[in-house]
Amino acid sequence: MSKILAPAPDMRPGDPYPAKGADAPDGSADEVLLDDPQEWPSFGRECSVLEGRDRYPGAWESNVVIEGMHCAACALTIEEALCRVPGVQRADVSAATQRARVVWQPDHTRPSVWMQALRQAGYRALPALDAQARDQRQREHRQALWRWLVAGFCMMQVMMYAWPAYVAAPGDLSMEMERLLRWASWVISLPVVLFACGPFFSSALRDIRLRRISMDLPVALGMFITFVVSSIGTFDPEGVFGHEVYFDSLTMFVFFLLTGRWLETRLRDRTAGALEAVLNRLPPSVLRRTDGGDFERVAVRRLQVGDVVRVLPGEAFAADGQVTEGRTLADEALLTGESTPVQRGPGSKVVAGSFNLQSPVLVQVEGLGEDTRFAQIVALMESAATQKPRLAQLADRIARPFLVLVLLAAALAAAWWWPTDPAHALMVAVAVLIVTCPCALSLATPVAMLSAAGALARSGVLVRNLQALESLSQVDTVVFDKTGTLTRDSMTVQAIEPTQVGQEMQVLGMAAAMAAQSLHPVSRALVQAAQQRGVAGQWVVRDLQELPGLGLQALVQQADGTGPAWLLRLGSARHAGLTSPEGGGLLDGSGSVWLALIDDAGQSHEWARFVLAEDLRAHSSAAVAGLRQAGMGVYLLSGDRADAVARLAASVGITEWRAECAPADKLAAMRALQAQGRRVAMVGDGLNDGPVLAAAHASFAFGRAVPLAQARADFVVPGDDLGQVVRTIALAQQAVKVVRQNLWWAAAYNAASVPLAIAGYMPAWLAGLGMALSSLLVILNAARLSVIPSAPLPQASDHVSAPRGQAASA
Amino acid sequence: MDILYLLIPLSVVLVLLILLGLWWAVHRGQFENVEQEGERILRDG
Repeated sequence: MSKILAPAPDMRPGDPYPAKGADAPDGSADEVLLDDPQEWPSFGRECSVLEGRDRYPGAWESNVVIEGMHCAACALTIEEALCRVPGVQRADVSAATQRARVVWQPDHTRPSVWMQALRQAGYRALPALDAQARDQRQREHRQALWRWLVAGFCMMQVMMYAWPAYVAAPGDLSMEMERLLRWASWVISLPVVLFACGPFFSSALRDIRLRRISMDLPVALGMFITFVVSSIGTFDPEGVFGHEVYFDSLTMFVFFLLTGRWLETRLRDRTAGALEAVLNRLPPSVLRRTDGGDFERVAVRRLQVGDVVRVLPGEAFAADGQVTEGRTLADEALLTGESTPVQRGPGSKVVAGSFNLQSPVLVQVEGLGEDTRFAQIVALMESAATQKPRLAQLADRIARPFLVLVLLAAALAAAWWWPTDPAHALMVAVAVLIVTCPCALSLATPVAMLSAAGALARSGVLVRNLQALESLSQVDTVVFDKTGTLTRDSMTVQAIEPTQVGQEMQVLGMAAAMAAQSLHPVSRALVQAAQQRGVAGQWVVRDLQELPGLGLQALVQQADGTGPAWLLRLGSARHAGLTSPEGGGLLDGSGSVWLALIDDAGQSHEWARFVLAEDLRAHSSAAVAGLRQAGMGVYLLSGDRADAVARLAASVGITEWRAECAPADKLAAMRALQAQGRRVAMVGDGLNDGPVLAAAHASFAFGRAVPLAQARADFVVPGDDLGQVVRTIALAQQAVKVVRQNLWWAAAYNAASVPLAIAGYMPAWLAGLGMALSSLLVILNAARLSVIPSAPLPQASDHVSAPRGQAASA
Repeated sequence: MDILYLLIPLSVVLVLLILLGLWWAVHRGQFENVEQEGERILRDG
């Protein structure tokens, strides 16, 4: 993630906003740091390098990511807020990408000033460090769109000029009129050949220079010969090549090819968008300890291994490192897929990209930039976005000898016919070149894959790897991970069991009041339950203590101040002072936490037990049933305890499961399945099952851990519905069927038409029509995929119905 | 039908003009965020 830094402009004398490196009391410290002119090139550029309309002398253009945007109306509010700041000349906010481009005058304002204005408007701006890459992509995107529009628009017009010649009976059109129409077609074809075909010609030239053959070479050759023959036909109708013109075939051909390419770039950009979200995850600056023991705020890229940094709660760790002081909870959900915050104390490692949730810690930096796991994951995502489906590679491989044959055949046919009639000879060669449709052959796979991917994206499944559609279509076994996959990351309160009947709401209110201070999943579940039942906020809490891994202790009193204040403990049976047969951690085998009253003598009295359950994902059992119906084997591999896994497996209808699997065990189990000749799809939640996801023939990632889970999984489902797995498999099978049909069609069409063309029975207009129709058929066939078959999932109950152990509460 | 001899060249010129318009639209970024301008009408004041 290194950035190329343009030389920083010198600070002007008498600068009204001298850069401050000091730590400001609130969160604007980062922004003050951005006032350092050395930082500006990293998220923007000087406007004098811009050309044309966007020119503002001396101004800077900065790109920022806006946090807190919810709707399009926000974009307008933000634009207004920014434009009110003196010195801001222009602000464009895009609601779709949550980004803003701000043009401002360094003489009158500073980034921290307009960022402060945004903060007052209720939003937060982060510098977009990937601005250059974005600009580059936008330029490419515009250029591609423009080429495509030129080809499309000119094709339509050329068709209009060609139409009279299609329908006219001999003698209907005067000689002059025919010539005029040809002239008009020639003029309109010029932009197509000179501009829209540019990429094909340049790539064909490159291929010739490198002495290799690719799809672009015959395409470019066909375009070139067609254009030359048609041009000669236009200007010298009495000449050796006759008076036929093929501008209609030519422009249509170009338009179809460009359409395919454009669709391909669009898909690539979508995956790149997810990448940017990840890139902007690292904080721009950190608090570094100086030799004197103070802390100064410095940019992340100035950090060095061995530096000690202070990370405040709510900040992301900027580098891999080791905690030296302090104890906190870290949210590593994005990196590991493990949503439960993990304890980090002195000596334990923290990873870049994870969040500090609880309290300030000192971290000694051990890995930076390219060395962090975060950066490696980002690199992985980048490479995945540029893969080519294997079937498309296969088509390219078949295409190569096929193309050589076509070129040879065209040359031979021309040579054969030349002695009798040069015009006819060249016509035959052109017919051969035009009629053979490398276009249909090369579009066959990508078009089908892309429309399948597009349909999936619309229904909430992101395809990371097009090739996986092919592997997925052959899958006969699906392996599920438990936590975060079959279950949601969060928990729910399953039952409240007070010792005195009728006190459910009272004990829940107390427990929730205590839990509101904690980030533990159990606490969140209690708070959520209280909110649902409307008993939140009836109690106040004082002197709260959290004992990590055990529970909470606090004084609890009614919110109106009446009644006594009770000393309560919430947590494991041991923490609550109750003897329990299971004991152990916070959640024992029955998945319960206790609420107990501590009297003046230090004796605890049980008040209530809360039974918590993992929250089963929507349609879990329906999805499993659907997979079984499709004849697939369904397995469950989990790192959890055997009893919990067994209960869950029973409730969703999975008969084959394994518990207490380390990632290596999961991998071994998967390899064993594969050794039996099974094609395995793995459904997991993120990187902690990364190796397993990678080893599977196809893989799904579910849940909130999305951007990084994308790195390893072929399909990413940001939503909640496990039924997507069933539907995606069905669509993948459909897609591969369509690809086969397309390839067969292209092959059959060529096998039939090439001999006809060589024999001279194929006039060039028919060849052009055949070429266009064969491409059109391929595209239309693929378009069938864009409608997802709404296969009804079998109905099944989605609730954990297994009874909980009752012994512990007795 | 002689008017066609004028109209056809005229249509060629028109096509080139429209292409110019398209160029302007694409490079002004009009196709980059197609919803936003429509939503602008909803703003207050």
